[in-house]
Amino acid sequence: MKTQISLTVNGRRRDDTVSDNLLLVDYLRETLGLNGTKIGCDGGECGCCTVLVDGRARHACLTLATSCDGTHVETVESLAAKGRLSAIQRGFNEKLGAQCGFCTPGMIMAAEGLLRENPMPTEDEIRAGMAANICRCTGYVKIIESVQAAARELAQ
Amino acid sequence: MEYLPNFQVHRPGTAEEAVKLRVDNVDARFLAGGTDMIVNVRRGIERPSDLIDLTHIGELTEIREEAEGIRVGAAVTLQQLSDHETVRKSYRAASEAAGSVAGPTHRAYGTVGGNLCLDTRCLFYNQSEWWRSSNAYCLKHRGEVCHVAPGGRECFAAYSGDLAPAMLVHEARAGLIGPDGRREIPLAELYRDDGMDHLTMAPGELLASVLLPKETADIPSGYEKSRVRGSIDFPLAGAAARLRTRDGVIEDIRVALTGVRSWPFALTGTDRFIGQVLDDNVLDDLREMARTQSKPMRTGTVAPWYRRRVVGALTRRLAARLGA
Amino acid sequence: MNAPVAPAGPVKSIGERAPLVDGPEKVTGRAKYAADYRSPGALVGRILRSPVAHANVIEVDTSAAEALPGVEAVVTGQDCDQTYGVLPIAMNEYPMVRDRVRYRGEPVAAVAAVDVETAQKALDLIEFRYEELPAYFTAEKARAPGAVQLHEKKPGNIERHAEFELGDVSAGFAEADLVREETFQCAEVCQVQSEPHATYAEYDAERDRLTVWPSTQVPYYVHLMLSRTLKMDQSRIRVIKPHIGGGFGCRTETLNVEIICALLARKARGAVSLVISREETFITHRGRPETQIRMKLGLKRDGRITAVECDVVQRGGAYSGYGVVTVLYSGSLLYAIYDIERIRYNGFRILTNTPPPGAFRGHGTVNSRFAFESMIDSMAEELGIDPFAVRRANLLKAPTFAANDLMINSYGLPECIDWVEKASGWRERKGKLGPNRGLGMACSHYISGASKPVNWTGEPHATVNLKVDFDGSITLLTGAAEIGQGSSTVLVQCVAEVLGIGMPRIRIIASDSAVTPKDNGSYSSRVTYMVGNAAIEAAQNLRSVLIDAAARRLEVAPEDVECLGEIYRAGSQDRGLEFNEVVMEALKDTGTLTVKGTFDTIPESHGGKKYRGAAIGGTMAFSYAAQVVEVSVDPDTAEITVEKVWVAHDCGRALNPLSVEGQVQGSVWMGMGQALCEETRYHEGLGIAGNMLDYRVPTIMDSPPIEVKIVECADPHGPFGAKEAGEGSLAGFLPAFTSAVADAIGIRPTELPVTPDRLLKLMEKKEQEARAQEKRRKIA
Repeated sequence: MKTQISLTVNGRRRDDTVSDNLLLVDYLRETLGLNGTKIGCDGGECGCCTVLVDGRARHACLTLATSCDGTHVETVESLAAKGRLSAIQRGFNEKLGAQCGFCTPGMIMAAEGLLRENPMPTEDEIRAGMAANICRCTGYVKIIESVQAAARELAQ
Repeated sequence: MEYLPNFQVHRPGTAEEAVKLRVDNVDARFLAGGTDMIVNVRRGIERPSDLIDLTHIGELTEIREEAEGIRVGAAVTLQQLSDHETVRKSYRAASEAAGSVAGPTHRAYGTVGGNLCLDTRCLFYNQSEWWRSSNAYCLKHRGEVCHVAPGGRECFAAYSGDLAPAMLVHEARAGLIGPDGRREIPLAELYRDDGMDHLTMAPGELLASVLLPKETADIPSGYEKSRVRGSIDFPLAGAAARLRTRDGVIEDIRVALTGVRSWPFALTGTDRFIGQVLDDNVLDDLREMARTQSKPMRTGTVAPWYRRRVVGALTRRLAARLGA
Repeated sequence: MNAPVAPAGPVKSIGERAPLVDGPEKVTGRAKYAADYRSPGALVGRILRSPVAHANVIEVDTSAAEALPGVEAVVTGQDCDQTYGVLPIAMNEYPMVRDRVRYRGEPVAAVAAVDVETAQKALDLIEFRYEELPAYFTAEKARAPGAVQLHEKKPGNIERHAEFELGDVSAGFAEADLVREETFQCAEVCQVQSEPHATYAEYDAERDRLTVWPSTQVPYYVHLMLSRTLKMDQSRIRVIKPHIGGGFGCRTETLNVEIICALLARKARGAVSLVISREETFITHRGRPETQIRMKLGLKRDGRITAVECDVVQRGGAYSGYGVVTVLYSGSLLYAIYDIERIRYNGFRILTNTPPPGAFRGHGTVNSRFAFESMIDSMAEELGIDPFAVRRANLLKAPTFAANDLMINSYGLPECIDWVEKASGWRERKGKLGPNRGLGMACSHYISGASKPVNWTGEPHATVNLKVDFDGSITLLTGAAEIGQGSSTVLVQCVAEVLGIGMPRIRIIASDSAVTPKDNGSYSSRVTYMVGNAAIEAAQNLRSVLIDAAARRLEVAPEDVECLGEIYRAGSQDRGLEFNEVVMEALKDTGTLTVKGTFDTIPESHGGKKYRGAAIGGTMAFSYAAQVVEVSVDPDTAEITVEKVWVAHDCGRALNPLSVEGQVQGSVWMGMGQALCEETRYHEGLGIAGNMLDYRVPTIMDSPPIEVKIVECADPHGPFGAKEAGEGSLAGFLPAFTSAVADAIGIRPTELPVTPDRLLKLMEKKEQEARAQEKRRKIA
């Protein structure tokens, strides 16, 4: 079965006909070529596919594309404005919040969702807000520092 | 590209429409957040012909303050429930439990109804199609043998929702909508201790809401869970309690557990503590009560005896916290 | 051309906290990993896996699958009769089974189809008929008399028995004031790098050429094995390494995924994307083996170690892989950290019907280090010696050679120990943390690259090319596989430092066999040391070319040219030449310039010959680390919280302190996962934790602050004195952690991971014993 959906992806209006069984992550990656969103597990366990749907973090690997009809979807590709890294991206780049980079898009989108709701989180709040995202490289120490650096930059 | 079998998605605008779609098709399933349903579809545990998306039904997505209490729509997200001001203040166990499910992303779109109707879990069941077929499937799904207790004809898959025990101590009521109309039952009656079939709802029936009743509002309550990691994991065991004391004497007590049987259940026999001083003896008795009424089996990677021990420890700790 | 600005002097790059040169790609999502490669018309690959653990293959009938519309290729064991494996002496694996299945999940067949639905349907249509054999899931059962052999040439299912005795061990024990012996059990663990395995392959049928983008740490080994298994000339194959989502050792050998994808692409005469699931990635495995260790130590009253006896049994899985090397490392690297002479080692690598382990970060050393440090700690306690004092009593003095001839030229362990003692407040805090809270410490070390590569060809270990052209940019060409560890960044830093120019002038191309010089890959912490040295040499060579050119233009002798990085001048009064001008002059005679640098290990570093396999462990330099771990234990639930870690790591010289910190934190934390909660488990050979819910990689909630001190004990041969930073501090976490648990609750776990159920069992046992003792006391 196929369904017509209308949504915005990274601010751009899309009207697409998608299979009902198409996952949002495959819609983004295969249909739209937005490869930034990663698949790291077999469903909801790693957070690599985290995107924002209507501003809230969501696993693109457990979300059907059809469910996103009428929503605003944001992926890591939306963040850099006019080629400049966003504050969170800059934080992850400069503080080494990304090593292999595979969890990074999901991690950054989780941070984006967190900072929109809580622009100056404590360390504990950062932990609680990013707790659905697994990183295998950093031990999270520099991820926390990256988010803190971004929050400081945004506050200025 | 992930493999998913074909199905049709419906987005009904009313609960009645949703129920009709379900009744018309035995292979249809309700879909809310999808944190568990889509995993199960991907693993071939669920093979729905149709998925009925409940998240666009107005009455399912609201938290309303009614004369009888707070009515929570089944499609309200766990985060919304946890953050709701009145729930946080008056139904602390529900707020704590909802706020402790899996990880923050799961809570942002996982729903109250989804967590309450969570399928029972077992390490021989929550595996890929290849895995289960290589292991001759299991009693719960397509197979003849229970790998947990190979001799028996019983399924011991564990109920692992966090929210249900909290709702049980609040004596929540379940609002159901079925082909024959609407009814309301004590939430406790939604469950039975059967890993194969732990929900009592009639075919086609939909859990539309839960009512947190006025009668149990503002009684001190809370939720404690055990898991190996501080996030994402399902509970190895969880305990919710409602406990009011005056001058150290127990006036009201109710305890419910999750993760240690195929259903969430309230401890029986806690009434006998009413009128007693909440001292170490009572706490020890409570711990023992929780242990003896639990029956964890080898359904996960952590030893069942540990889950039994820990559910007692959690119960004791929680009671001590609430009584302090 | 702008007028030269006032010369600012050479730009410093070494020692700077430089962000990754490929960081912007990673944080914007532009970085392309293997699964991100696809072209219109590319086919989808899928693998059929064996449902049984041990069986003779009767038939793999693919006729129905082949007949399915949309299926472009089906391959089975019949399509590849060549074995592969990382060790030339132990290639016994086929990409897909031929006569025998040896573990559950081993590939049987694969398909390439137009879409995922068709591919899945085709797999369902393949009939796999087999005759089951007895299967062995533990080393003990596989070794039992009468067990069916997994491999013809491996009687007793022994992959390798490694043994040595140096010095008179029995006399050593006789001299000791205290001799103790203990058994340790370490569960099997898996890398669980963020990116599941994936390969994209394009076959050009017109020209019989194959291009492959594998998610590997070792593009060159993949190249070799593709050539071998596909029987294609190496010149017809091009291997391009995409961005890699971590590896930690599971990708330091060619994996069946890579070969199968290439076989499919060739058979389909097109492009195939083969992305396997997380579960399949677990099955592909190559993690750290389940290990039993019996460790016996002799100690003098002053803390000196008199003798060590160590028996190791590793469950080696169904194929050789790196197994021989792993079991040798476990023995060899008992040396080179402390001053010990007498060691008796007996290591068994056993073949079992489980997925093959491999070279997990800290390869071979981690579990035996856990056992060793645990023993020395508990014995010191028994003798009333402080954990720091006992380590200090056994320190080496560099330069030296260990008793098994491992070369040690730099040794920063004493400084590491000093720092963690002070930073953790050990003296003031130990024993005063209140109930259920404790401190523990331990040390560890690791090699900076194996001095003899597994594929010994006689070539230099590393080669770096620098290409300079009319635009004044420098392109650094290296085969070194950037896998997230920051190797590309550090190589750019090395070149920039030597030339005194800013890093932005340098671009790097890493690991494209058509463009970059061959490199053995990213494993055994070899890249910074070996390729870094090659990069320095290349840059030095380029610098002299540029100085010569500048000298010509400035009409002075080369030795009179002062290189300020962007400016080359003859004396401080000279306005000098801009870099581009110098480059243009240099190109005049030769055209585009490519200069080269190489690195080779010195023979003294090749390890010894005192026992069979003594070359394993040979390295140019060892890193050293010490750490203190603070834990608290919940007395009711036995849940352990790691509160904080202080770690000091001697990396010789921190070329990029930011990266070093990241590597050390990642290592310590990965050790924590193994100590606390990670383990693969099998039900009749079927992985029951083949997902990221049941295989518990720690979350951010479980992860402590990790304070890193970089100790810089420069190595005489290291690049700017540097040594490895990415593995050495892993092993120390495990014993420091169990020592901290012992300090907190008086119980020292010897079985890993210390999950709450394991610990609670120990706690209850202790309570029971205490009660029984109390009872006996009362009766008495």
